[in-house]
Amino acid sequence: MAKNESIDQIPPGWDYNPATWSQRIPIVILAFVGVIIATYLSLYQLDYIDTVWEPFFGDGSKTILNSKVSNVLPIPDAALGAIGYLVDAVTGVIGGTHRWKKMPWIVIVFGLAVGPLGFVSVLLVVFQPVLFSAWCTLCLGSAIISIAMIGPAMDEMLASLQYMQRAKRSEASTWKVFWGVQSEIEKVK
Amino acid sequence: MWAKILNIVIGLYLIVAPSFFGYSPQASDNGHIIGPIIVTFSIISLWEATQGTRKWNYPFAVWLLLAPWILGYENNLAMVSDMLVGALVIVFSSFEQENKNRYGGGWASLWQKHPQHIQEVNKDEV
Repeated sequence: MAKNESIDQIPPGWDYNPATWSQRIPIVILAFVGVIIATYLSLYQLDYIDTVWEPFFGDGSKTILNSKVSNVLPIPDAALGAIGYLVDAVTGVIGGTHRWKKMPWIVIVFGLAVGPLGFVSVLLVVFQPVLFSAWCTLCLGSAIISIAMIGPAMDEMLASLQYMQRAKRSEASTWKVFWGVQSEIEKVK
Repeated sequence: MWAKILNIVIGLYLIVAPSFFGYSPQASDNGHIIGPIIVTFSIISLWEATQGTRKWNYPFAVWLLLAPWILGYENNLAMVSDMLVGALVIVFSSFEQENKNRYGGGWASLWQKHPQHIQEVNKDEV
């Protein structure tokens, strides 16, 4: 029984289950490191701390973190980053090892949170030298973390999207399957 | 794997070369914009399920071949370097790695009529 259950968790046409904890925990750890870095940077931007750690680029971090782009929204960009990483971590943790079929919505929210956050951080990396002729070490570190999360998060997203594709072609309601309604999930082949 | 890592190294080179060799502003900005993009797509393509992302480098690599002429680089080294880098990225992005795992037909399955994952389900039923 237990064995059948674990085979049942491997998506059809796959060789492994992309929702196991060994798949997800590294991404969640990266997200938590991102939360810590972004929180530290936003404490500086909100004036709770006076200096910011910058080992390589002199006043670079100060220039970047006080720039107009980083304050274009009502809350500083690092605080938004911290919220983004927190969403990544929470949506990475929620659900069991069969969540690609039992809770497609959380997998798809997770994938959408990880993807755009990574691309926004690349945009911010481009802004640093082009607009301000400066670099910020921890901002670069944060960007690398958010990019490193994209690849490993996307296999689970693919499994859920394929599952939704099967739901659409069966008698089940795609909408209810998306939200994980058990009676509808049973109708999907 | 090695081709993707070389692309990451090339992207990092694009980012640091402008200050190292003292490029003019157009060439500098171009390296600072295209470098991070190539690094990003190459890192994402390290994983099997997203190895197709390496091909997203193509338009940016082609741009590197054209940019010296369109932007009018003043620095010959920048011109030669960017064009060479563009050509190398096109080559390295073309290497397809054989996947160790199957992915139900991959991302292409999402717009196929008879994707692999659905064939697999039907096969099990019979």
